[in-house]
Amino acid sequence: MKEKENSSPLSFKELPAGFEFPATSYELSESIVAKYLEAVDESADFMALRLVPPLAIAACAMTALAQSFTVPPGSIHASQELEFLKPVPIGSRVSCRGRIAQKLARGSLNLVILEIRVLDEGGEPVLSGKATIAAPG
Amino acid sequence: MKEKPNLQDIHQGDSLPSVSKHVTQQKINLYAEASGDFNPIHVDEAFAAKTPLEGTIAHGMLILAYASEMMTQAFGQSWLKGGKLSIRFKAAARPQDTITASGQIDSIEYKEDIPYVNCSFECRNQNGEVVISGGSVVRLQ
Repeated sequence: MKEKENSSPLSFKELPAGFEFPATSYELSESIVAKYLEAVDESADFMALRLVPPLAIAACAMTALAQSFTVPPGSIHASQELEFLKPVPIGSRVSCRGRIAQKLARGSLNLVILEIRVLDEGGEPVLSGKATIAAPG
Repeated sequence: MKEKPNLQDIHQGDSLPSVSKHVTQQKINLYAEASGDFNPIHVDEAFAAKTPLEGTIAHGMLILAYASEMMTQAFGQSWLKGGKLSIRFKAAARPQDTITASGQIDSIEYKEDIPYVNCSFECRNQNGEVVISGGSVVRLQ
């Protein structure tokens, strides 16, 4: 699915706030969308309109970003913010950019807030968001 | 899928069209293939059985897709080009769970003559436990 410009996983714990992950690009192909729609049991409206479901874009972006670093065992995806800016046609190639926006300590947990931005082939933003990962200290 | 809803059909307090789905390990595996997220806690039953969760769990984003489907049903393509959500993952969803996404329209406000619909929603399992809770905003344009 993805083509990474830098495939070396980085240690999540050692990355500072403000760190920008290597850009990743991937194609949202018809087969990925078909598999996604079957997995989430959603109607074929998106196929008829030739559009990628917005959560499919987000999921692929999160996975692409997550493959750039390693997290401690027991880490959880605690919260998510997403903004959908533009429909994406099936077959589009998009690029994903991410950075560590914030690192916080809350009790026994380390919280890391990741910002993601997905751009289309013309460089226009199609999706943005923030994910909070809670990792054991 | 509609282009956008008729603003006259949208009222504060209206319920969003609920969406119920049955989670299976097969769907979780398919989701892993589509998203590329093969974390063993989702797809390796033997591994997951030895963790504190004592079994596989669905990807949080898979369950969030049910809420997004609800928003698409309510607001059509407006959701795809002007939707925002903010959620918390409260509990894990497991194979054989039935998850229901439901929500309501909290308010409609105008910014520079553009209507924005504010909603709150949640996803609950068959036992009533909240798996996801959050809010969303849709720009109707």
